[in-house]
Amino acid sequence: MTGQALDFNPSTELRTSLRQSRARAGIIGLIGVLALAAGAFTARDQFFRSYLWSYIFVLGITAGSLSWLMLQYLTGGAWGVVIRRPAEAAVRTFPLLALLFIPIALGTSSLYSWTQPTTDATLLVKQARYLNVPFFLVRAAVFFAGWIFLSWFLNRWSAREDREGPVPANSRMAAISGPGLIFWAFSVTFMSIDWVMSLSPHWFSTMFGLLFVIGQGLSGMAFLVTVLVFLSNFRPMSEVLTPRHLHDLGKFLLATVMVWAYFAFSQFLIIWAGNLPEEIPWYVERLRGGWQYVALLLVFGHFALPFALLLSRDLKRNFKLLASIAVFILCMRVVDIYWMVTPDSSKGSLSVSWLDLAGPLGLGGIWLAYFLIQLEKRPLMPLNEMELAEALEHGRE
Amino acid sequence: MADEQQVIEKPEPHEILAKGYTFGTITDQIAAVVLTKRTPLLWIVGIGTGFALLNLLLLSATLLFAKGVGIWGIRTPVMWGFAITNFVWWIGIGHAGTLISAILLLLNQKWRNSINRFAEAMTLFAVACAGMFPLLHMGRPWLFYWLFPYPNSTTVQPNFRSPLVWDVFAVSTYATVSALFWFVGLIPDLGTLRDRAKNSFAKYAYGMLAMGWRGSARHWSVYETATLLLAGMSTPLVLSVHTVVSFDFTIAIVPGWHSTFFPPYFVAGAIYSGFAMVLALAIPLRASYGLEGIITARHLDNCAKVMLATGMIVAYAYIMEVFMSWYSGSVYEQQAFWNRMTGPYSTQYWFLVTCNIVSPNLLWFKSFRSKPALLFLSSIIVLIGMWLERYMIIVSSLAQDYVPSSWSLFHATRWDWATYWGTIGLFLFLFFLFVRLLPMISIFEVRTLLPQAKVRQEVKR
Repeated sequence: MTGQALDFNPSTELRTSLRQSRARAGIIGLIGVLALAAGAFTARDQFFRSYLWSYIFVLGITAGSLSWLMLQYLTGGAWGVVIRRPAEAAVRTFPLLALLFIPIALGTSSLYSWTQPTTDATLLVKQARYLNVPFFLVRAAVFFAGWIFLSWFLNRWSAREDREGPVPANSRMAAISGPGLIFWAFSVTFMSIDWVMSLSPHWFSTMFGLLFVIGQGLSGMAFLVTVLVFLSNFRPMSEVLTPRHLHDLGKFLLATVMVWAYFAFSQFLIIWAGNLPEEIPWYVERLRGGWQYVALLLVFGHFALPFALLLSRDLKRNFKLLASIAVFILCMRVVDIYWMVTPDSSKGSLSVSWLDLAGPLGLGGIWLAYFLIQLEKRPLMPLNEMELAEALEHGRE
Repeated sequence: MADEQQVIEKPEPHEILAKGYTFGTITDQIAAVVLTKRTPLLWIVGIGTGFALLNLLLLSATLLFAKGVGIWGIRTPVMWGFAITNFVWWIGIGHAGTLISAILLLLNQKWRNSINRFAEAMTLFAVACAGMFPLLHMGRPWLFYWLFPYPNSTTVQPNFRSPLVWDVFAVSTYATVSALFWFVGLIPDLGTLRDRAKNSFAKYAYGMLAMGWRGSARHWSVYETATLLLAGMSTPLVLSVHTVVSFDFTIAIVPGWHSTFFPPYFVAGAIYSGFAMVLALAIPLRASYGLEGIITARHLDNCAKVMLATGMIVAYAYIMEVFMSWYSGSVYEQQAFWNRMTGPYSTQYWFLVTCNIVSPNLLWFKSFRSKPALLFLSSIIVLIGMWLERYMIIVSSLAQDYVPSSWSLFHATRWDWATYWGTIGLFLFLFFLFVRLLPMISIFEVRTLLPQAKVRQEVKR
């Protein structure tokens, strides 16, 4: 089987199905956004809070896809060839996400207590040099500039490779991906410090950035697996994808779940054992008033269950089951981000607002519709990839 | 076989085995290192240096037992000094061997077959060196068994909430599993050596060690299962051992130690220094034994890339550590890092930053990675840098913590240095002994890299 024999453009059935899904996602998104807009006028603070954590979840999928896209250029391998086009489509949504950041930029005074005047000596120093609104916005602009720059070049060169043939483009992609991954790791770290950690401005933890690095990687991989399984129902991907491809991606899911648990547990153990007044309040806040059950849900749902299931070889090779686990992991990512962002403002007890439902549906729906438009635009496999034949053969053992 | 005479060509940069090898010539070349009477100059110099330094260890340990730990520079508040620095350094070096032998096996990375054997041996000897330091540091090393929760009449049990007790379990498990994995991996090759040895004593010794290996299909089947199981058991150990070592620091609330990302940061640092040691051993060995066809440019390139990746993680850690202490607004955290950068240990700090963060950036360039001499040099620099990193973390944080009135600097004595160099001697001595007595490259695993070896899979299909 050679790459030339197959037409990798989305088939007619796939296009129909993509349009249907797009319409559905768009409608749900629109309803959600309308609800959010209503909330913005009636419950301002709650709106910003719900918007922030929903936004971070959706951004996590996109930024996570960017990391896998760059990683596969560095490592090579069949798994990278099959996820490339969905990942490229996902990172083309960064301009939309930059637009969707505007409400957060407008809401800093409502979201972050450090924007308010204070007499707290530590906070005063912090406000003077790091946690101040202009610098906060400059940093956000730098993150988006970098992400859009990386995704724009990777997409451009990949499209050129389709037109003009392999060699030079691919090495250029690898050359940008190495420094790109370093930028990504730092930008995600500072993003997590700025947008999430500074919600409790006294608290700090060096692991926090890494938790987001791995959490976004997990969101990205779970999303890409879901998309691939969806695509496998239609030509051309039904001819391409085999259990072996999914098996490889399933291993990445398993590894990422394990690393997430390792990071999350290490941070907890170290802060619990240290029990220092400037650190422990973050966990105290998240382990009482109902939040402790959310934390337990994370232990089982974000780690134990997917870990135990993903150990199975048969399960990783079963498209439907693997996709169900991936969707479940995405739900757990929602819970994890919710658990990290909201307890500080929930006044000691767990209460879910209707805006916490409208947020992920609205932003998620709009984003998904835009992603599906992007997905349809290009052939679903890189046409002139040097490893294409090998990647297709890989599935046939 | 007609192609038995074929000349072994110079390997292409991307190859993991030079063209022209056959099952026979691979076995010949690797077994010859052990079964010949000839030894290259490197070996004589290496084991000679190792033996001389080993005697230094003997001397310093004897003096230590006679006089006590006072011969070292450790004083309140710096009670950990060199001993724990060296412990962490050595145990970190071991990690690369386990990563290569276990994780890369599970990831189906074929290139590991040519370097896993001596990397595992390196792990074993590094753990032996590491294990010495807590014992020597104990003051009354003959009571070391108090660390274990054995049933005793005093009903005194170790404090299970102390990571130092976790260390006892982590390191002893690591040593046991590594030794088992290494020995099980050796069995088929010991069988080969038994069959090839001319000397009757050698025949007898290898025969005993080969434990009746006949190479039957059944033996191979059992063997492969055992290898996979041991690889599975070793994999979590790569992470857990250094994670527990990092808990030794983070569980305490000393500024500069109590940092939540220490576990992955320590693991990355361990793999970083371990791969540096793999390169530092592989480059001279392949040159002096003429093994460039088996340990090719591709292996050095891959090891260098792992070094680069882990070096970048370590760089991330250094940067975020300093940023977070600045961001935290905590005077103690800020003082700890300000002290490192400008205080009494600032020379060491900037030297370690140069070694660990600045120098590995040269590895981005393929032209740099393709020169073994430069790679050797940069791996030595990384080894020095990683030692300094542990020294910096331990000494600078202990010397100047919360209470300025109890601050006191650490000065290493000549016996600190003698013990440290002594363990380097132990490592070199054991390693060169291993090179002379056992096949330093896995014969049967390298044979699976041959194109001929792939036939079996096609038949299976």
